Amino acid sequence: MMKKITLAIFAALAAFALTVAIATLLLKREYRAPIAAAKATTEATPRDVGLADQAAEQAKRDQEKPYVEAEYRPFPKVGSRVAIWVVAQLHLLFAAFVLAVPLFALIIEFIGYRTKDKRYDRLAHEFTKLLSVSFSLTGTFGAFLTFMLVILYPKFTSYLVSVFSLTFLPYVLLFFAEAFFLYTYYYGWGKFSPRVHLLLGLGLNIVGTAIMLIANSWLTFMTSPAGVSEQGALINVWDAVTNFTWMPINVHRIIANVAFGGSVAAAYAAYKFLQADNDEDRAHYDWMGYIGNFVAICAFLPLPFAGYWLAKEIYAYSQTMGLQMMGGAFSWLFIIQAVLIGNLFLAANYYLWLGMGRVEGAQQFQKYIKYLLILVAVCFAVWATPRSIISTVSEVRAMGGSSHPALGFLGVMSAKNTAVNILILTTYLSFLLYRRTGKTPVVRWAKAGNRAQLAIFLVAAAIVLFLGVYGYFVEARVRIAFSVPQVLSVLLAMVSVTVIDIFMFKGARSTGEARWGKIPAISQYVLIFIAVSFTWLMGLMGYVRSGLRQHWHVYGVMRDTSVDAFTPTLGFATQVVSVTVLIFFLLIAFVFWLASLGGRKDWEEASPGTSADTHPEASPS
Amino acid sequence: MKVPVVLKIAALAVATTSFYTYIGQLVPQKEVHPPVEILISKEMGPEEMRRVGRLVMDGKGLCFTCHTMGKKGPLRFPDLEGIGSRAGERIPGLSDVEYLAQSIYEPEKFIVPGFNPGMPVINKPPIGLTDDEILAVIAYLQSLGGTPTVTMQTQLPGQAPGRAGSEGATGGGTSP
Repeated sequence: MMKKITLAIFAALAAFALTVAIATLLLKREYRAPIAAAKATTEATPRDVGLADQAAEQAKRDQEKPYVEAEYRPFPKVGSRVAIWVVAQLHLLFAAFVLAVPLFALIIEFIGYRTKDKRYDRLAHEFTKLLSVSFSLTGTFGAFLTFMLVILYPKFTSYLVSVFSLTFLPYVLLFFAEAFFLYTYYYGWGKFSPRVHLLLGLGLNIVGTAIMLIANSWLTFMTSPAGVSEQGALINVWDAVTNFTWMPINVHRIIANVAFGGSVAAAYAAYKFLQADNDEDRAHYDWMGYIGNFVAICAFLPLPFAGYWLAKEIYAYSQTMGLQMMGGAFSWLFIIQAVLIGNLFLAANYYLWLGMGRVEGAQQFQKYIKYLLILVAVCFAVWATPRSIISTVSEVRAMGGSSHPALGFLGVMSAKNTAVNILILTTYLSFLLYRRTGKTPVVRWAKAGNRAQLAIFLVAAAIVLFLGVYGYFVEARVRIAFSVPQVLSVLLAMVSVTVIDIFMFKGARSTGEARWGKIPAISQYVLIFIAVSFTWLMGLMGYVRSGLRQHWHVYGVMRDTSVDAFTPTLGFATQVVSVTVLIFFLLIAFVFWLASLGGRKDWEEASPGTSADTHPEASPS
Repeated sequence: MKVPVVLKIAALAVATTSFYTYIGQLVPQKEVHPPVEILISKEMGPEEMRRVGRLVMDGKGLCFTCHTMGKKGPLRFPDLEGIGSRAGERIPGLSDVEYLAQSIYEPEKFIVPGFNPGMPVINKPPIGLTDDEILAVIAYLQSLGGTPTVTMQTQLPGQAPGRAGSEGATGGGTSP
């Protein structure tokens, strides 16, 4: 083995020496004037004079060249916009992961601290194993993005720096603080008292959130600028930070980050489950996947509501922008979004239904799955129905317009709001059934409690359906306002049913234990599918948030005059999103691999005896 | 042959992203370019102004992002069909040209009953129509149920003062 390595090193050195020799030979063959006499005594040849003149002229031109501030610089092959797009998206995905994992790791650690159940502590520690490398990648992509902005969009970057200069120093200092908290939190696991460690986790979350709030102010300013004059001059930096879409984006991002982080952590557990070679590991990673997915779905359920608020603020800032988003260039994007969210809901429900098989005595609930599936499928179909249909001229004539005479009614906001609210209620019901498997309530009021829960569900569904149908008969401004009571009734139903359930199942009799690890392998692929779909959804929504500005760097303040000042087709956008998502998963696979190295045995050089044992041909016998 | 788990996961990730990319190819594909600037001559007559006004409304003005033409039922913004015939009666004391100019330069000043405020100031960014483009738009709006009386020399309330060769919106031979 050593001989082969030595030979390879010699071969490499020989190849290098040969290359240097060839290059030197070629350089020596450059044209030179014949040597007839000493240089000082001969007159310059016409060629020498020509070359000297040329060099002098070039030097003069160089000296006279004026300094021109570049507005844009090109990026080879894919162009500047796509280059920035991919790098920014990768930075955001890692940043989202790094912000989300500490949030639920801290909560899980706290549960472990309160319940004295060591399993939670181990689980939280395992989640944080994914953090350190991800943090480095987030920082690397952040620096990459900054350089790319300075190089490719110097004028725009200079403008943003001039507006937000006051925010950069706190940002950098917070970044140092985050590094301090993150590494102390991770490396200090089990080294401090639980309270000190929990405080470190809290510090990490506070600092991480503060970093996100600052970064969000820069990007939301681009969409809904404030605090600047009509010409773009800074008037008030605080107004620029707290612009129209800042707080809705903050809330939306925190929730989405948790859902995304949970799904990626669940994907890690799924990967480890599928690689596991014993029941103990399978049980542990099944549980970890379940918790990760639980976190993701819990955050995913209120996400559409945060989305409504963001959309409402966009409309409030600029009706034109709002209408471009929902009725103009980007309206079809929301059909793609509906397909994604429908898939996520289907997958989340499917995982819960598969998970019921872990628990003995789940049969009494499994009979309801087919009805839940029908509901999810119907809501998915309604949500993904477009208002107008791509059709030929004859089809348009036959339909009497671009909308289908019957299905066209499902393409409007009333139907879609109704569908998504029922979808959320159905998924919540799936979770509730899963939660109840293997348990029987022992409280005296159990029957009444069940009836109350059913009544709450029915009333919430009735309100959602009634307002959805009534929305077709009222003016637009009234119809838009209906989404608020629809959302509130669903949220209220989920909260009140959960409260009843917690009290009803306190001290419940166990009818069957959860057999962690006893779940079909396909469930783990479902978790990976959810993680990929969620990442793709984040990429798509990042595109629409940014694309809404259309041909403006800063909407209404700084126009994009580059060659990329147009909104690409949705087909092109989805290709860029897919490439970005695949790069992200390639990198996150690296993170998973690094995180799993800690569990491996230390490398030891094989002793001669061991070598003989493992190579039968070397054995004396 | 047993396929390694890592390969299965990679295949799933590629298949999922490919599926969503495919969905992205099924929806209408349209590139949206920045609005094209239309050259406006001071010498344009009513017919030419009407034609250019429509072009501005379709493009740079983004008017039909919100407004409709001849649509009935619950609407988000006022329908523009027949606006030329009713513009002069909207606000007592304002001629049709003055009313239309006010709707464009100061849209929050009067909201058509039954609708919410939401129209942007059209001569400011991001739309940023020029005074001449706005005159052409008003000519087109007047033609919807009426006859254009505005000219390229009309001075509108809200316009930058001192436009060369201008005359008052209600004055001269161009007033409605």
